[in-house]
Amino acid sequence: MELAIIVPLLAAAVQSGTPILYATLGEIFTEKSGVLNLGVEGVMIIGALTAFVVALTTGNPVLAFVAAGLAGTLASAIHGVVCLWFKGNQVVSGLALAILGTGLADYLGTGYVGQTAPGFSPVALPVLSGIPILGPIFFNHDPLVYLTYLIPPLMWLLLMRTRPGLCLRAAGEYPAAATAAGLDVDGHRWWGILMGGFFMGLGGAYLSLAYTHLWTNNLTGGRGWIAVALVIFAFWRPGRAVFGAYLFGGIMALQLRLQASGTQLPSSLLLMLPYALTVIVLVLSSWRRGMSEAPAALGVNVEPAD
Amino acid sequence: MTGQPPLIRLAGISKSFGDVHANRDITLDIEEGRILALLGENGAGKSTLMSILAGQLQPDSGTIFLQGSPIVLSTTDRAIGAGIGMVYQHFKLVEAMTVAENIQLGHAGGMWLSWPKIHEEVRDLAAQYGMKVDPAARIGSLSMGEKQQVEILKLLHRRSRILIFDEPTAVLTPHEAENLFATMKLMVGQGKAIVFISHKLEEVMAIADSIAILRRGEVVDRVAAAAVSSSAELAERMVGREVLLQVDRQPLEPRQIVLKAEQLDGAGLHAVDLELRQGEILGIVGVAGNGQKPLVEMICGLCPPPAGTIRLLGMEWRKFFADQQWDLALSYIPEDRQGLATCQGLDLLDNFLLTTRGGFVRGPWLQRALADEKAARLIRDFDIRPPNLQALAWQLSGGNLQKMVLAREFYRKPRLIVAEQPTQGLDIAATEDVWKLLLEAREQAGILLVTGDLAEAMALSDRIAVMFEGRIVATFSTDDGEYVARIPQMMAGLEPDV
Repeated sequence: MELAIIVPLLAAAVQSGTPILYATLGEIFTEKSGVLNLGVEGVMIIGALTAFVVALTTGNPVLAFVAAGLAGTLASAIHGVVCLWFKGNQVVSGLALAILGTGLADYLGTGYVGQTAPGFSPVALPVLSGIPILGPIFFNHDPLVYLTYLIPPLMWLLLMRTRPGLCLRAAGEYPAAATAAGLDVDGHRWWGILMGGFFMGLGGAYLSLAYTHLWTNNLTGGRGWIAVALVIFAFWRPGRAVFGAYLFGGIMALQLRLQASGTQLPSSLLLMLPYALTVIVLVLSSWRRGMSEAPAALGVNVEPAD
Repeated sequence: MTGQPPLIRLAGISKSFGDVHANRDITLDIEEGRILALLGENGAGKSTLMSILAGQLQPDSGTIFLQGSPIVLSTTDRAIGAGIGMVYQHFKLVEAMTVAENIQLGHAGGMWLSWPKIHEEVRDLAAQYGMKVDPAARIGSLSMGEKQQVEILKLLHRRSRILIFDEPTAVLTPHEAENLFATMKLMVGQGKAIVFISHKLEEVMAIADSIAILRRGEVVDRVAAAAVSSSAELAERMVGREVLLQVDRQPLEPRQIVLKAEQLDGAGLHAVDLELRQGEILGIVGVAGNGQKPLVEMICGLCPPPAGTIRLLGMEWRKFFADQQWDLALSYIPEDRQGLATCQGLDLLDNFLLTTRGGFVRGPWLQRALADEKAARLIRDFDIRPPNLQALAWQLSGGNLQKMVLAREFYRKPRLIVAEQPTQGLDIAATEDVWKLLLEAREQAGILLVTGDLAEAMALSDRIAVMFEGRIVATFSTDDGEYVARIPQMMAGLEPDV
């Protein structure tokens, strides 16, 4: 293939990978604290709807973006209440949140279907966008994409090089040790859930503010579930999540292009590609390392001592 | 004593779990620059007491004084703040993190962590106490001895003044244990106070400055280590002599041999011979960890004897366990009645069926109605409370759960019973019930009673075998006064020279 085809495809991979990246980073942060939040899909779509409605009513996309993050925080707080206060089952609570979120967004968003809202448009970065090949792939996007270039290293720094990050990881690895060290395990898990929810909400906002600028039902289209799988693919590392997200973004962009090019392949098969890849990736990464990289206490509630 | 108050004073500490008194009115001083050993059998209340001091449990009553002023240790955080640190028996280390990360955990300080600087600090601190650890190593790659050093470094790094060691040598090789003792000496030399929990007599003799002995939740003795002449004396103080309970035990005519072990070797045992007949109780006494556990596991079929032979009810070991009957055979009453004997989340009927289901099958079906009827009858006969088959096992108190286990096992009409610490943690009334039931069961069966409570062994056994370091030091009749008087010496490994 020629550069003229590949470069735009890769640029599209970055763009369609971005919402998944936000959500994956959020889920990594939550899981690092030991909480499994399967509700990513629901949190994302609530973020997407919030962003759309705020942008539509205020005309301010930045405000809409932040509001989506806060909505994600609020939505995932439900998960926190169930799992941390009432020590409910994390899997069940997460699944319920996913269903609740998608249902709620469909219901509340019915009136907005087909409308368009102001959002973010591509801004070529001076100098950087002039670099051959890399320039058009990475530096000719909207500002929300550029933001994701900063988050993984910052999240890595926070987790590995700061005291709160150390405590958060301890809460996810071995809560008994954290408790013995005098830490408030559930407090750190709250941070994991709320911060993670914020990023998931941003991931949703990207879809309605930059990716489409309009509202349709089921806007997230399973991206939240892909994010959950990508966390395992990334071995819970923010840096690896970038590759995973762009890989999926690439597949999504490719199948759109293939459909547009009038290929003989049935479109349903093409639409299936990202999800088929999810399964393959999960199998391969489990094969290589299994769950050995997972936070040891992931999904395990800390029962209060009597 | 000088006028200065001790670093820590525990005054009148009591703690109960349900109807079990783990600690009863305990008063104890912990002094600077001294090693205090807490000696006692499993379940004597040592760990509960120290968990209270570490802020993990709250006492039901009593006060803790820090340098003369009362403090409330409501959280581990508070205890750490008061300078109290604990090296747990099961290390509280995050396996996936490095040594330095574990040491930093919970440490107050700035936002940013500069690992090169922290590594330097850790290395210096370790060197100061003669330890060698790589701060960048992952915990998962360390030996048990090294992990323990990390636990100690954690406390030293926080400048803890009172260090509690919960059975620290249980996981160490002899060489590592020596290193630990050297480190402990260095630490008290620097004015730290150490509490050393153990049931190993020699260690306590070797390292402690003063010794407190706990039994059934009470401090029964407090002595200066220098005043103790031998580990036999300690053993005697630890197991106790006073008779709390008396049961009427009439000797029966021993009948056929139900258990015969010859030259059992390996897994911690050395040339163990024993013989048990129907109609008698053979008490195995000794300080915990001297081979009782592997012996029980071999006899009960949990692990095969590496060397030597065991014959049960006249059958060879392999054959016996290959086609063991549900009834008229072996019943095991384990020490761990919550973990091994019952399923905590199942109700009493299902727990009853765990070992008796063989008696309620018809083809592929379980006759639950019949089981229900029989189990309900047992609950009445054994006075198990609550008298409700739908109650879940965890809802029962220790004594009632133990009676439930006995009721179930005796329903099988066993001909050989292995009872391990059958009254541990039970109150006097429940203990008496259990003792009576065991004596009744003796008519139909031979009973091997493994106990750390000498009074229990004396009250129930027809014969006693003393174990030390995997050997049976001597076997003798309970009526043989000369031998009985020397049980403490034998528990400390001395041959009976009578």
